[in-house]
Amino acid sequence: MKRLIPLFALCIGLPAAAQTPQLILESLVAKAGPASVARGEQLYRGKSKAGKTADSCVACHTENPKAVGQHVKTFKAIDPLAPVAQKDRFTDPAKVEKWFKRNCQEVLDRPCTPQEKADFTAYMISVK
Amino acid sequence: MNDYGITWKHLASLILAVGATALVIEQAPAGDEAIFPMPAGKTYVNECGSCHTAFAPGLLPARSWRRMMAELANHFGEDASLDEPQHLAILKDLESLAADGPQANLRMRRISAAIPANAAPQRIIETGYFKYMHDEVPRHIWQRKKIGTPGNCIACHIRANEGRYGQGEVRIPPP
Repeated sequence: MKRLIPLFALCIGLPAAAQTPQLILESLVAKAGPASVARGEQLYRGKSKAGKTADSCVACHTENPKAVGQHVKTFKAIDPLAPVAQKDRFTDPAKVEKWFKRNCQEVLDRPCTPQEKADFTAYMISVK
Repeated sequence: MNDYGITWKHLASLILAVGATALVIEQAPAGDEAIFPMPAGKTYVNECGSCHTAFAPGLLPARSWRRMMAELANHFGEDASLDEPQHLAILKDLESLAADGPQANLRMRRISAAIPANAAPQRIIETGYFKYMHDEVPRHIWQRKKIGTPGNCIACHIRANEGRYGQGEVRIPPP
C-alpha cells in the first residue's frame, strides 16, 4: 500500500494543472494590484502604433470577445477569447503566459506588465 | 469445350487474374485520398497550429523545415520562438515526416521531386505540387472572407490538422 502512495499523489497532481479563470486571475492579481475590468477593456480595444502585423487585440479577436476571430495575416479562425464562449480559455496558466508573451510583443512591441495581465484577464472573465 | 478453343484452364486463369487485381485495388487507397503522416501527440498542433494550419510535414522537404526552425525568431515577420524541448521535438518530427523523409509515401516523393535540390522553399503555396493541385481554383474563391489566402488550408481542408487533404473532405466556405 505504501508503495502506491506516490501513484495516488500523481493521479491527484495531474488534473491540478488545469485551473479555472478565477484562479488564474487570483495568481495574476497576487503579482500586481487589484484588477480593473475597465482598464482591461481599454487594453483589449486600444490601438497601438507599435503593432507590426496587428495594431490591437481586436484586429484578430474582433470587437466582440465572444465571437470567433480571424488571424489578420493567415486568416485562420481563432476560437473566442472570453471563457463564457470558449470554456477552455484561461484554464491553463502556461498557455495564458505564452499568449501574453507572444501577443503583447506583437501588438505593443513590449511585454505586458503583471498589472495589464491581471486587468485583461479580469475583463475577459467579466464578459457575459 | 466449345468452338472457340476456350478451355477450363483459360477460364480459371482469367478468374484468378481478375480476383488478384480486385484484391490489389481493394487494398490501395482511393485515388483522392491525400493523407499525410502527422507528428504524434498534441505538441505540434498546439505550437504550430494556433496561428495557421498545422501544415503536414510531408508538404515540404526536410531542408525547408530545418531552415524554418532555425529562423523562428523571425517567422514571416513574427517571433514564433519555442522553448528548447518543444523546438527539438518538433524539428525531429518534421525531419522524419518530411516530403523527402525516410517514410515518405508516393505523394510526398512527388512533392519533393518537384522542388529543386538547391531550394528550401518556406511557403507551401509556392511549391509546384501545390500550384498543380490548385490550378482550377479561381481567385474569387481564395478571396472569400473565411479563406483569405491559399495558405489557409484548414478553411477548406477541414481535417488538415490530421494530415487529411483528400478531395472528398474539402468543404469550401460559402461567400
